[in-house]
This record gives sequence, C-alpha cells and structure tokens, in this order.
Amino acid sequence: MIPLIRAEVLKLRTTRVFLGLCGATVLFTVLGVVAGVLSAGSSGSPELGTAASVRNIFGSGGPAALFALVLGILSVTGELRHGTITQTFLVTPRRTRVVAAKLAAMLVAGTALGVLAAVVATAVAWPWLAAKDVSVSLLSADVGPVLAAVVVGAALFGVIGVGVGALIRNQIAAVVAALVWEFVLEAILIGVVPAVGKWLPGGAARGLTRETLSSGNLLPAWGAGLVLLAYGLAFAVAGSQLLVRRDVT
Amino acid sequence: MSGVIAVRGLVKRFGSVLAVDDLDFEVEGGTVTGFLGPNGAGKTTTLRALLGLVMPTSGTATVFGRPYTALRDPSRRIGAALEASGFHPGRRAIDHLRVAALAAGIPEARAAAALTEVGMEPAAERRVGGFSLGLRQRLALAGALLGQPEVLVLDEPANGLDPEGIHWMRGFLRAYADQGGTVLISSHVLSEVAQTVDHVVIVAGGRLVASSTLAALTDRTTGGAVRMRSEQAGPLRDALVSRGVSASLVDTDSVVVTGAGAREVGRMVAEIGVPVFEMTTDGSNLEDIFLELTAAGPGTE
Repeated sequence: MIPLIRAEVLKLRTTRVFLGLCGATVLFTVLGVVAGVLSAGSSGSPELGTAASVRNIFGSGGPAALFALVLGILSVTGELRHGTITQTFLVTPRRTRVVAAKLAAMLVAGTALGVLAAVVATAVAWPWLAAKDVSVSLLSADVGPVLAAVVVGAALFGVIGVGVGALIRNQIAAVVAALVWEFVLEAILIGVVPAVGKWLPGGAARGLTRETLSSGNLLPAWGAGLVLLAYGLAFAVAGSQLLVRRDVT
Repeated sequence: MSGVIAVRGLVKRFGSVLAVDDLDFEVEGGTVTGFLGPNGAGKTTTLRALLGLVMPTSGTATVFGRPYTALRDPSRRIGAALEASGFHPGRRAIDHLRVAALAAGIPEARAAAALTEVGMEPAAERRVGGFSLGLRQRLALAGALLGQPEVLVLDEPANGLDPEGIHWMRGFLRAYADQGGTVLISSHVLSEVAQTVDHVVIVAGGRLVASSTLAALTDRTTGGAVRMRSEQAGPLRDALVSRGVSASLVDTDSVVVTGAGAREVGRMVAEIGVPVFEMTTDGSNLEDIFLELTAAGPGTE
C-alpha cells in the first residue's frame, strides 16, 4: 500500500497543478494577513492585539483548504479526463486500493498545503505585528491551535475532494459544484435553516479555525474535525462505489 | 505454454449496442497474433475486457488461466498499451513511467530503461503535451515494457506512426517474439501487421469471422476469382464445370473460375491435362480476403 500511496503523491507532484495551487495558497494567505492587519480596528473588526484579531490574522491560511479541495477533485477527475486512469487500473486492478491510496495521498498533499499556509501566515504576520509593537507569542492559545486548524482543515478538505471527484467525475462540473456549494448554496441553506450551519462542511471548517467573524454557534474544534472526516469518508465510499463498477473505456 | 490468452463466449453490451457478441479465441504462448477488424468491430472492447477495465456482460477473458484482476503483479506478467491519449499533458515522459513503476513495485531505473528500449530517451524530460502521436505510441509501448512482461497486448500501436516508425515497430515485435514473448496486437489494417504476425483473429460486428494462421488465411481465396488463359479454353471450362466448380468463358482463350482457391484449381488443371499459359488470381491478396471477411460479418445491432 505504501508504494501505491507514494505513486499517487508522485502523480500530484509531477504536474504543474500542484505548484499552481501552492502559489495560490501563498497568495491568498498573504492577502488574508494584509487584509487582517490593515482592517483591524475598523468597521467592526477586532482591535489589533486582541485575541480575536490574532486568531483572524494567524488563521489567514484558511483558503488552503479550498485549494486542497480542488487538488483532491483534480486527482480523480484529471485521471478520467486525460485517460491516465487506464494505466492506473492496469497497474492496480483492485480499484478500491487506488481510491484508498488517493485518499492517503491527498491527506499528505492537503497537509503540505496547510503547513505552507500556516508557515506563510506566521512568517508575514509575526514580524509585521512585532514591527507594530504588537507582541504575539507563537505559543499562545490564540496562535498554535489556529495554525493547527488550518493544517487539519486543508488535509480533510483534500480527502473530501477525492470523494467529490469520484462522484461527479467531470472535472469542470466537480470544481464548479464544490465552489458553488462552498460560496453560495451553503450560505443559502444556513439562511433558511440556521441550526444546520455548524454541521455543513463550511460551518465545520469555521468550527475548526474558531473564526470569530462568522455568526452562529460552531462545533468544538474536535467535533468539527470529525464532521469533516465523516464527509470525506462518506464521499469517498460513495465515489469509489461508482469508480469500482464503472467500465473504463 | 498454450492458451496464454483465452476469450470464451465473451459478450459486452453498452446500453443498446452489442459491442462484442459471443467471441471465442485463444492466443498461444510465443506467437504474435494479429487481432484484426474494421473500426467498431469490438477489438478495443475485447482487449479492455481482457485487462479488467470493462466488465463482460457474459463470458470470460483470461490471461494465464485467470482474470487479469486476479493476477499478482500484473505489470510483470502482461504489458498493455491501449491508447495514445492516456497521458497527462503536463507530465514529463519519464515521470509518467516513474509513477507506473512505483505503483507496480518495479525498480525506478526501469523507467529510463524502458524509454531507451523504445528509442525515446531524448524526449524523457519533455512534457507529453507536446508529443506527436508517434511519440505517444512509443511512450505507451514503454509503459507496457516497464515490468519486462512475457505477454504484450497492444491496441493499434501503429496508428500515427510514420513509415520509419512502423518499420521500427515490426522489428521490435519480431525481436520480442524471438525471445519467446507472446504478442496480441490489434489493427484495422491487415497489411500493417501482415509481416509481423503468425496468427490472425479477425472480428467484425463483435463476432469472430476467422481465426487461423496467417499462412492458412493466405491460402483462402474465398469469393476471389482464378483467371486462366489457354488455347483450349472451351474444353478446360467444361472439364472444370464437370468437377463441380463454377467456371465461365470470358474470352475465346480465357476462363474465370470462382468459388475455388488457386491451389485447388491448379491441381484440377493438372488432372485435366490441358496446357495453360497464364494463371492469375483476382481478389485473393490478403487485404481483399480481409475486407471480404469483415464485410461479410454480421453488422452491429
């Protein structure tokens, strides 16, 4: 199983998609920190140096989860789109093993994106805040858990992506569906039934990072993590059912 | 070793389309078998069923006596090159092979070695997106060779190759077979593989229309005509008709026989003892036999 996972990781590393998503993660994280620092204290944002502000700024790597989701989707749909799934299944005819290896590989790649985001957020925010005479201890309860949440969130969303890709199969449709869900449908659903919010993927992600700007109650971080893991496994099981039975033509 | 590949009663239906209809054939170990038929005859579907990519509606397709999906280390036993398009355009050729080697538990050094075997090491570091169809075919073949298997299954490997590439492919397959390898190679052009194969399996409309050695196929002149010129054309025609073949006088010195092969007609003429000063066969070359066989095959539903 280990060689199979390494092969899946190598697949991710050997196209430019992964590099591109790393770049996007860095860009969005830096923008998040800049926006967090500059907007602090204005228009209802918490004052610089408060615990809430520190959490928001150090949690700027949150978008890594989104890019991990996209990478997870592409790790499946890309194979279907380019026909590399033929070689994959020829080498490993037991298809559930392929799906399992992809899940594990995305756990690794999602973690990598999350670590990248956490490191970039810290590298930009910490010296900048220090220069503004706001001293933040990296060991503080408002930094470590938030950074960890960014990493865990990216890893779990990577896993969810594999399942979404296996279910929807069409690359563009899968990415669009994931983004529309994340940015439109979930908000609408919460508007209609606020109580379900914390149980949805986006709400659980906010539960993980304890984002303070979001309204409504959130699950505890561990609960949110379990909810995301459950989503990932549910999608993966459903998607692999489809993938295992389908003819590859 | 015989019957390395065995297809028995294979049926595959895609919705309302019957792609493969009760197909039976075997490939003996150590032979090169041409799997021939027009486009849409069900060749690719059959090969994909053989390799566990497509689930048969009924019947079986086995390698070494078992389904491909039940093989341990399949890449080391049977190498397949199925289509030229199965590459990520942004991945380098060498990486494409490294991924497969890693997943198959094959030493990574084989990736570079396989590229050398197909003569494309200069392109190793290039991304596949910029490859010609010919280079893609070679890369697909390199993928099949990764595990140094004893059986190769190649789907239209000559497609997109230039004449030099086709020549190279023939030489390559011959050398592989001479070392004891077994090859099943599909094509829709018989002449493309006629110099390479020992056996032919011909399909049309999903059904088997012929399975024989190439030599036996060459002997067939089904529906072709044998044309002879003789100074005694009339008596020759009468003698042939009395032996039960259909012969007609088309000129004062010319007889055309249909429904019998040149070999058979020649034997009859010797028995009859009439001098013949010219004998030619019409429509009896391989390509014509092939076209005739596949045209006569049942159409798809």
